[in-house]
Amino acid sequence: MKYAAVVERRTGSGRIRTTAPYTPSQSRALSPARLRQLSRRSLLKKGFAGGAILLLGGSLATFLRGGGRGRNPRQPLRLLTAKEYGIFAAVAARVCPRQPEAVGWPSPDNLDCAGKVDQLLAELHPQVGTEFRRLLHVFENGLNGLFSVGQPGTFTAASPEDQDRRLEAWRHSRVALFRSGYQAMKRLAVATYYSSPETYALVSYPGPPGVPLVKAP
Amino acid sequence: MKIAPAPGEIRDVRAEPNLATECDFCVVGSGAGGSMAAAVLAQAGARVVVVEEGGHYTRKDFNMQEAWAYPALYQEKGNRATEDLAITVLQGRAVGGGTTVNWTSSFRTPDRTFALWASRHGVVGLDSATLAPHFAAVEERLSIREGNPDDVNANNRKLLEGARKLGWQPELIRRSVKGCARLGYCGMGCPIDAKQSAAITYLPDALAAGAVVFTNARAKLVESDRGRATGVVCEVKDAPGAAPMAAAPAARRFVVYARRGVVLAGGAINTPALLQRSKIGSRSVVGRRTFLHPTVPLLALYDEPIEGFYGAPQSVACHHFADRGDRVGYFLETAPLHPMLSAVAFPGFGEGHQRMMARLAHAQATIALLIDGHHDDEGGRVTADIDGRIRLSYPLAPVLREAAADAIKNMARLQLAAGAREVMTLHEDAVVIRSEADLAKLDGVVFGPNRHALFSAHQMGGCRMGEDPKRAVVNSRGRHHEIQNLWVVDGSVFPTALGVNPQLSIYAHARLFAQAIAAAG
Repeated sequence: MKYAAVVERRTGSGRIRTTAPYTPSQSRALSPARLRQLSRRSLLKKGFAGGAILLLGGSLATFLRGGGRGRNPRQPLRLLTAKEYGIFAAVAARVCPRQPEAVGWPSPDNLDCAGKVDQLLAELHPQVGTEFRRLLHVFENGLNGLFSVGQPGTFTAASPEDQDRRLEAWRHSRVALFRSGYQAMKRLAVATYYSSPETYALVSYPGPPGVPLVKAP
Repeated sequence: MKIAPAPGEIRDVRAEPNLATECDFCVVGSGAGGSMAAAVLAQAGARVVVVEEGGHYTRKDFNMQEAWAYPALYQEKGNRATEDLAITVLQGRAVGGGTTVNWTSSFRTPDRTFALWASRHGVVGLDSATLAPHFAAVEERLSIREGNPDDVNANNRKLLEGARKLGWQPELIRRSVKGCARLGYCGMGCPIDAKQSAAITYLPDALAAGAVVFTNARAKLVESDRGRATGVVCEVKDAPGAAPMAAAPAARRFVVYARRGVVLAGGAINTPALLQRSKIGSRSVVGRRTFLHPTVPLLALYDEPIEGFYGAPQSVACHHFADRGDRVGYFLETAPLHPMLSAVAFPGFGEGHQRMMARLAHAQATIALLIDGHHDDEGGRVTADIDGRIRLSYPLAPVLREAAADAIKNMARLQLAAGAREVMTLHEDAVVIRSEADLAKLDGVVFGPNRHALFSAHQMGGCRMGEDPKRAVVNSRGRHHEIQNLWVVDGSVFPTALGVNPQLSIYAHARLFAQAIAAAG
């Protein structure tokens, strides 16, 4: 079975065309016509990306290798599964200051960014949590790696350089949905990281000032 | 079980499940509009119950930590955004509403905005003269005085200096403060009560006149019977740490029976969503024309420290570009630069993002707020699902993209004039400007969803006022066109964006509307 990256380009009429070959099974799921039919949000809402890619990926064990394992939650999870926790932690490890290069900076694992995101999402509307979990699975899936950067295999099992390429692919994607997905992961990662007092001094932020002891008049 | 709360109480409904209560008027929301309406109606002798979906926090709770403040004090725990995540929406959710977290900037509604509402949106009897006594009363109550040059921190001083050098006539912002220590944390709740938020001004006025406030009660439905509003059904927010309420099959309810009427002040986005859930009015009008003042930030880096995280967040504004004729106008202000908010806005990830964060203390942020709704742009749309989720779509119209492109070029000029070493757009492909000659780089800059940072701290519209029931939700005094004892007194009534920070306009319109409600008996 031959796989190659699906390259998308926008034509003068605004239509998306795929220029690289893909398999018949993929063509049913990811055909340009199908993509055009789906709104940005319905892609996630209907589980198309997650469902179709996972369905395809499920028949190909190689694409699911890794599975977000390797990081253990510090406290009982309220929304994410252990696998989803691991996927987000792996994303945060590339989005936030990276170890071991970022000498003196805490790692997002040290700050439990994934755990904080789990707690936060658990208190939002249940659909928000469901969509974010689905997003993590799509990003993790081997077919996403194949389509976005031409490398099969899951995100968590990829090399750091390959992980960065996958993030870059979504960050600059022509597909608005993927840019939204990138922003969702990135914002949650950096928000939990830089709101931690352990990082204040590293960004030359002394923290909140002392407060006058008396109430204003 | 019905309860009869003592007048002047603030009660957390979570402590008392399965309740109901009665009143003359039920006011939904305790921000600028709701607290004002509650005060006016209670002082007129009515029994008033205010329901507020957020919690009751006081200065002792405001610890100036972003990790606490955004989840506690903002809608969707600080995660509200357009549904494509292209625009981050900062909107308060606590006793005091948006006034608990706003940056205190206070402007009267511009004359040109009133004129536009009258000429194009069928608004009758609203102009500067009509609102003047209401503006004056609010300014007195909130201690809004002339702008104070001592309020200007380094972040705002760059805007002031740059605009002056270019002849763009900057102005000092009037602020709703008394005894301000210029800590810089208005957006996280004032820890010394210097900010004159609704929670320490009009809401206490309402309580003193006998009103009762119920917190952690989220208005889910307005009940009506034969053309009259009869009450409000609320969901009781669960205690922290519990499963989210919408996940529970039978969320606890709290019912307020209102004998004389219901006054909605949940803010733009939440008020139209409440009407939609209640099936009041047509979805062809309710939720349409939602405006955000889409806000484009531009970052400048200076050799000297700016420390944009300290000092009054906003003290200088520039309205030089507010009226651009047949093109969308915008006005310039600044935004504070605390680590979390900055990290979310800064583009990229990994090492590049870290390098930018390491320069945070030297960064200055000028923002351009696009005045939407004054031209051919129709704004956004709010839709409410029956399960409680609210969605906001907001396509950035071509006329707004043109304004955004013009704004970043002029902001770059301003920041260079103020001595910036480097100016940077917050596009994912950031454009870096180091001199006037570099400004041409901005000609091809693209504005599109999630290609750059966009914020909104001003939500307006969605229940626009006007005299034509086919085009407007309420009349020019906030009364609903179909249900005669239902009123809207928040920013959702504005037919367009204001062109200035909205808190003072919301207070003043609410005061005018509430007096009309009281007079109507």
